[in-house]
Amino acid sequence: MIELFDVTKRFGEETAVDGISLRVESGELCALVGTSGCGKSTTLRMINRLIEHSEGEIHIDGQPIRRFEEDTLRRRIGYVIQSTGLFPHWTVARNIGLVPRLLKWSPERIESRVDELMALLGLPRETFADKYPDQLSGGQAQRVGVARALAADPDILLMDEPFGALDPITREALQDELRELQARLHKTIVFVTHDMDEALRLADKLVVMDAGRIVQQGTPLELLHEPATPFVESMLGGDDRGLKEASLVTVGERMLALGPRLNATARVHRDATLRQALAVMFREHADRLTVIDDEDIPVGELSLQRLVGNTRHE
Amino acid sequence: MEAPRHNRVLPALILAALVAWLGADLVSVAANRIVPGEGIATLDAIGWGGMLAGTLAMLSVAVLGFRPNPRKYRIAMAVTVATLMALPAVLALAAARQADSDMPQARLGIGPGFWVVLFVMLLAMIELRTRLGGSRLNGWALMFPVLLSWWLCLSWWLEPLALLQEFRGRSDQFVAAVLYHLALVGAAVGTSLLLGVALALAMRRFPALQRAGFGVLNFLQTIPSLALFGLLLAPLAWLAANVEWLSAIGVRGIGWAPALIALVGYSLLPMVRNTFVALSEVDPGVIDSARGMGMSRGQVFLQVRLPLALPVMLEGVRITTVQAIGLAAVAALIGAGGLGGFIFQGLGQAAMDLVLLGALPILGMALVADALLGALSERLRPGGAK
Ligand SMILES: Nc1ncnc2c1ncn2[C@@H]1O[C@H](COP(=O)(O)OP(=O)(O)O)[C@@H](O)[C@H]1O
Ligand SMILES: [Mg+2]
Repeated sequence: MIELFDVTKRFGEETAVDGISLRVESGELCALVGTSGCGKSTTLRMINRLIEHSEGEIHIDGQPIRRFEEDTLRRRIGYVIQSTGLFPHWTVARNIGLVPRLLKWSPERIESRVDELMALLGLPRETFADKYPDQLSGGQAQRVGVARALAADPDILLMDEPFGALDPITREALQDELRELQARLHKTIVFVTHDMDEALRLADKLVVMDAGRIVQQGTPLELLHEPATPFVESMLGGDDRGLKEASLVTVGERMLALGPRLNATARVHRDATLRQALAVMFREHADRLTVIDDEDIPVGELSLQRLVGNTRHE
Repeated sequence: MEAPRHNRVLPALILAALVAWLGADLVSVAANRIVPGEGIATLDAIGWGGMLAGTLAMLSVAVLGFRPNPRKYRIAMAVTVATLMALPAVLALAAARQADSDMPQARLGIGPGFWVVLFVMLLAMIELRTRLGGSRLNGWALMFPVLLSWWLCLSWWLEPLALLQEFRGRSDQFVAAVLYHLALVGAAVGTSLLLGVALALAMRRFPALQRAGFGVLNFLQTIPSLALFGLLLAPLAWLAANVEWLSAIGVRGIGWAPALIALVGYSLLPMVRNTFVALSEVDPGVIDSARGMGMSRGQVFLQVRLPLALPVMLEGVRITTVQAIGLAAVAALIGAGGLGGFIFQGLGQAAMDLVLLGALPILGMALVADALLGALSERLRPGGAK
């Protein structure tokens, strides 16, 4: 658990972060979103003391972070940045083993841990262990970056626009992988991004920042339903925000389970998003879809009315 | 259809070589050391056969440069190496043909034609090596038969060569001069490496030092070397007269002490600049993540910043070394001895072969230092040479 109490950071005259309070529960992924220069990175870097906060208190698991020695604190916190920061003169395996080596693990333990992580991140050992970072694609390099951050099995992961430099397809693939990883590992993650779609996809908790302050925080659906200010609303895409909400809800949550009429020919999978279902309706000129499961067996029906959340006439 | 791509470098080089081979004096013969030599053209020096063989060999290298492919380049390389191996034999042949029992003192000088051909064929070899790819090491391996051939000819068949006679006359002195030269350069580079790294680190720590530091070093660089030696003369003489232990270790107004100080002075700028730039230009993202992972400042410096800066720092060492090898020759003027001694002595006596005896090893040392340090810095590039 990470808690910020009224934290401020000044660089000389300039106030980069202005009295923010925030609580990230254990196992929660908290996304910090905002325009460039609003203080996201500064906030993140104060948590592992790469930047010392000027005022307020930051606690990890109830303990003020200043009570820990800097390097000890950082070895307990994973850190991933946009440029990967991999050491170009070290092999992939050596890069991943960095923190365990700093913690003086035995060589055998480091090796088996590196193997485990490479498998976890889909980097076959034979192909990648002895490569140098220059020889990797952007996506592979960032996987190595994530593996390195996870190496000593920290409870907390700080990620500063980790996928910001990747092409859209690789970015989405890595977002999916991060979601799957998080479902298994339950780390406490603070994730900085300026990409609202990325934040909506990944976040349990969404924090919108502007000019060093927190403008609104809550679950993605809470923010979509009730944006507190016009700024948050525009960050969420203005009128498009309905579609963004539709991307967050699955067909299974809205369908009528095994309804009386199953004559609709257009089909959609139970785990598809409402946004995808809407696209199918549009394409098929249909106002109801048959919902199927993994075995292609119909399990329910989704009408346009149900899709938009109007259930009165069913 | 793809336009045929010709190698433009080889024909130009070979044209220059052929002009020299056919038009300039290949060697010169002097009755003794003092009288100026009389130039002899290739035809008279080695006869029709030798001249034709040489012409054909060089022409073939140029021709192989048209519509080149790797096989043609390899053949051209073989011809070039063979030509370089044959060059000392050309001298030996010329020596044998000019031998005259009436003039046992006669000396064979190397003429401009020969120098140009030698130089151009070395350039052709570099060009071909670049085209063929392959490592620096392979390039040096190819030099081996060439050097072997030169060594054999010099040992057995080139007795009348003036250069060799100058060497024979002072072989002990020559070895001592080479060692002294190396020692002077080594001491200068070693000292400026230590001082330079310390200065660069201080400038990084205290940015206020940067302007003043680089200002002084840039200024030092602009003083002509002779003037710098002159400037050092008085203070060092005074120190030697007044500080006993300094004069005990041989510090004088002239000699090695001012030479070393001046060499260090000139070496500092490239050393500090390269070290400073190398350390400063390490990717900030890499440093940030190293700190963020929990490496201590010392670990970040020793395991990340320094190894990543090393290739660029070595570049500074390379520049400094090559520069110091040349400058150390000038130091002979203030009595520092070394190979420069031969050069200035030779200039004084108008004995060009003595000048060469000093200059050629300096050239050789500079080339070897350049190649070795260049190869080392290449090897240390991140992830390179694996
Ligand atoms: N080390 C620093 N020194 C001075 N100002 C800084 C420093 N780091 C960040 N800032 C300033 O703080 C503000 C917030 O920066 P940052 O947290 O990096 O923004 P974001 O990550 O949201 O783009 C910016 O105005 C930036 O110029
Ligand atoms: Mg940022």
